[in-house]
Amino acid sequence: MTEKDFWRKSQVTVVGGGSWGIILAQLASANCQEVRLWVRDEAQARAINSTRTSPKYLLGTSLPANIRAMVEPERALAVGEGGVSAVIWALPSSVAREQARAFAEHFQGSEMLIHATKGIEAGSLKRISEVLREELPCARVGVISGPNLAAEIARGEPAATVVASNYQDVIEAGQELLSTSKFRVYSSTDMIGVEWAGTLKNILAIAAGALDALGMGWNARAMLITRGLAEMVRFGVAMGGETQTFLGLAGMGDLMATCGSPLSRNYQVGAALAKGESIDSILARLGATAEGVRTVSTVRDFAVERRISMPISEGVYELVMGKLSVREAMERLMTRPLVSEF
Amino acid sequence: MSMSTSDLTPATHSPQLSTPLVGFSSIRERILENVVQRTMAEFSSNSLDLVLGEALYQERLRIKRGRDNLFTRGRSKRDKQMLSAIQKGLLRPPGQVDRHELLRVMTAHFAEEIGGRFDTRIYDFTTGMLPIFFNWLLNAASLQQFNPKKQRDLIHNQLIINGEVDHLRALAQHGTILLVPTHQSNIDSVLIGFINYLLELPPFSYGAGLNLFNNPILSFFMSHLGSYTVDRRKGNAIYKNTLKNYSTAILREGVHSIFFPGGGRSRSGAIESKLKLGLLGTALEAQTENLIAGSAKPNVYIVPMVMSYHYVLEAGSLIEDYLAEAGKHRFIITDDESFQPIKVGRFFWKAFTQHSKITVRIGRPLDVFGNFVDEAGRSIGPNGTTVDPRKWLTTRGVLCKNAQRDREYVLGLGAKISERFHRENTVLSSHLVAFSYFEALRQQYPHLDLFRFLRLSREQRVLPLSKFLEFAEQQRSEILKKALHRELYVCPELTMQDSQGDSFHGERVLPAWIREGVRQLGQLHDAAVVRIDGDEVFTDDLTLVYYYRNRLAGYGLSIRASELKGQLQGTHDRKGFLA
Repeated sequence: MTEKDFWRKSQVTVVGGGSWGIILAQLASANCQEVRLWVRDEAQARAINSTRTSPKYLLGTSLPANIRAMVEPERALAVGEGGVSAVIWALPSSVAREQARAFAEHFQGSEMLIHATKGIEAGSLKRISEVLREELPCARVGVISGPNLAAEIARGEPAATVVASNYQDVIEAGQELLSTSKFRVYSSTDMIGVEWAGTLKNILAIAAGALDALGMGWNARAMLITRGLAEMVRFGVAMGGETQTFLGLAGMGDLMATCGSPLSRNYQVGAALAKGESIDSILARLGATAEGVRTVSTVRDFAVERRISMPISEGVYELVMGKLSVREAMERLMTRPLVSEF
Repeated sequence: MSMSTSDLTPATHSPQLSTPLVGFSSIRERILENVVQRTMAEFSSNSLDLVLGEALYQERLRIKRGRDNLFTRGRSKRDKQMLSAIQKGLLRPPGQVDRHELLRVMTAHFAEEIGGRFDTRIYDFTTGMLPIFFNWLLNAASLQQFNPKKQRDLIHNQLIINGEVDHLRALAQHGTILLVPTHQSNIDSVLIGFINYLLELPPFSYGAGLNLFNNPILSFFMSHLGSYTVDRRKGNAIYKNTLKNYSTAILREGVHSIFFPGGGRSRSGAIESKLKLGLLGTALEAQTENLIAGSAKPNVYIVPMVMSYHYVLEAGSLIEDYLAEAGKHRFIITDDESFQPIKVGRFFWKAFTQHSKITVRIGRPLDVFGNFVDEAGRSIGPNGTTVDPRKWLTTRGVLCKNAQRDREYVLGLGAKISERFHRENTVLSSHLVAFSYFEALRQQYPHLDLFRFLRLSREQRVLPLSKFLEFAEQQRSEILKKALHRELYVCPELTMQDSQGDSFHGERVLPAWIREGVRQLGQLHDAAVVRIDGDEVFTDDLTLVYYYRNRLAGYGLSIRASELKGQLQGTHDRKGFLA
């Protein structure tokens, strides 16, 4: 059986009914037999199955008939003798461990597991792939990350992404299942780099939102992106990632998309902070998870401990903590001692 | 579970032989032929002229560099004959001399060298001799102490075996055991044989360094007890593949095996952190092939084993070798210590007369991926799940081998074994004395790098007793904390309650564990490793202290370890010390 034949006939499970989870299910549905979409909410599952659209996110997206939403993990994950061939994990980082524990018994071990979470476990600094590896009886884990704003992909605009794993099996699954004529999947073996890139850019997205809200212009944004990328590389390499990963889709690519798009939640958080709204009220209002807010203090603490220079992240940390205003943070960044660029 | 040898009745009969090793001579030819076939098939797509030429060159170089003695001369002669034949063949055109035939000659030559024999009569004879030998040793040892009643207790007190012994026995019924011990000394090989006998385990086939076979007596016994030879100096691809295929073949036959996954003895004295993955991978390969073939007992179980000594016979030459490598010849290599029967005799003599305890821990068994295994042989996953190895070996819905995937699995297994080695390690009082003295002295000279530090003069190596004692107690409480978190094990002396067994040293109280540790630490060396004299602690040989101190490297205890995050095992701090 060729690669294509196998994946065409396969069963795939997507865990998580957020906007990104639904888009991934839609992409996979074009390349496999059936997609089972696990969602937490019974009403959402019923709505998806009956109206072929998600009531909560992305109104107007029509979901193909071979996507079936369900709330029972045993139905979604343990299918037949061979089990499902791939599981795409699209849950926020805050629930990764707890949900993996709850689902562990339904995994068989033959699944290719790809997570789409752009964040880390707060406090422990563990990447989501490490958390999943610790909690699930699956060895073959990978990550998908890139400049992928869900709404644009839902509209059918072209986009590209990276699937990274130590296992060629996982990369193959990601490429075969998610590639379409509008969505291009690149491969990488630098899981650490890809996961950290996806995490760190969220912090910079908050800064980008703040700059734009105050109308600081293109020069300021270019400065933020370039110097922010330098911070990401320093931190990512210290964690064991490779520099070039940060220059690719998961690093530079995602950073540009996130920092330039008002669609990003982290960007919206930054914009609201700049207008003087408190972090609690912003998070209550936005509802959806802004990973950058969760990540920033963990990253900042580690950077301080390891003496990794990350002035922009430090600024975002103080901004989120309410210690500084955007203008004050900016002033502090601009008046640092003058140093060499590289 | 935990047990000491005192729980055991010494075996009066030979252990039950329930492995294919017993009928090994009947399957030997088939296995070797199989190994040759497999190895040849692996090179079928290569340019054989290139492969053979490279192997020929490397072998010639090895022989040129090596020195022969009385016992290796015969082997070298056979090697040279084979190489000459290959060379002659390669000089003629492929039309006249079939390259496959040359490859067969070379592979068969290596396979014959690697392949062991098993002779039940010799096994019975040896296991019958062992009690007599040890009884003799004990009698002689106890005569020295004028207390014949003690002799039976001696062996039980001197060799302490802890850990998952019953688990190991249970698993031997469910599959094939691959025992992977840490490797510090050539004594290890003798000790493992003895432990095997004491625990009444089934016989193991044993991958032993070729140099051990230089001793004709050892060679005779070892090669007839199912051991096979591993020659780390042969680096050519044909030899390596032949060796791997041999290991795979005997594991597939269900022959319980032992090899040292670290390759040679630990040069630095530290617990192994980088393992030889090639040979380790044969466990996964054997199990996969068994599963595909539908064998009744397909599984291979990996059992780590950690041995702790107060004294290592070759410590001096090992650490010098290590420093020469690390310091890029800032240290001069002296002649390598060879395997000397008199020194081995002295070792056991001292072990029994001086109460120099040897502690051995049989670790928790693992599957070929590094998952823990329960007593029924099932792999345990997280959160109460069971791992079905078949599922992990399924790619695109088919149970199969897959080079890339399997390489990652073996990498994971290697990392897990190294982690388990550190966790199953038993810290002895002498290790902690060496570590405490060394690190306390380092605090006095924080700016020196390893090589300058090791060259401190006799006066500079003196540490005030008060400072040493204070630092050592701190270290002990750190170690006990780690023991509580199951990051390591400690010997009973280290857990003694305060002041129990303490003694006075001048005006100062010397805790029992320190007194014992100082006494035990490398007590067979010519120089005092750590000595307490009046109010001073010092050493005659700082390099040896470094060797014994390294046993506690990799735990984040050394003074600069906090500067490093993440992987500590096998890494060096900014001043070049093992972290």
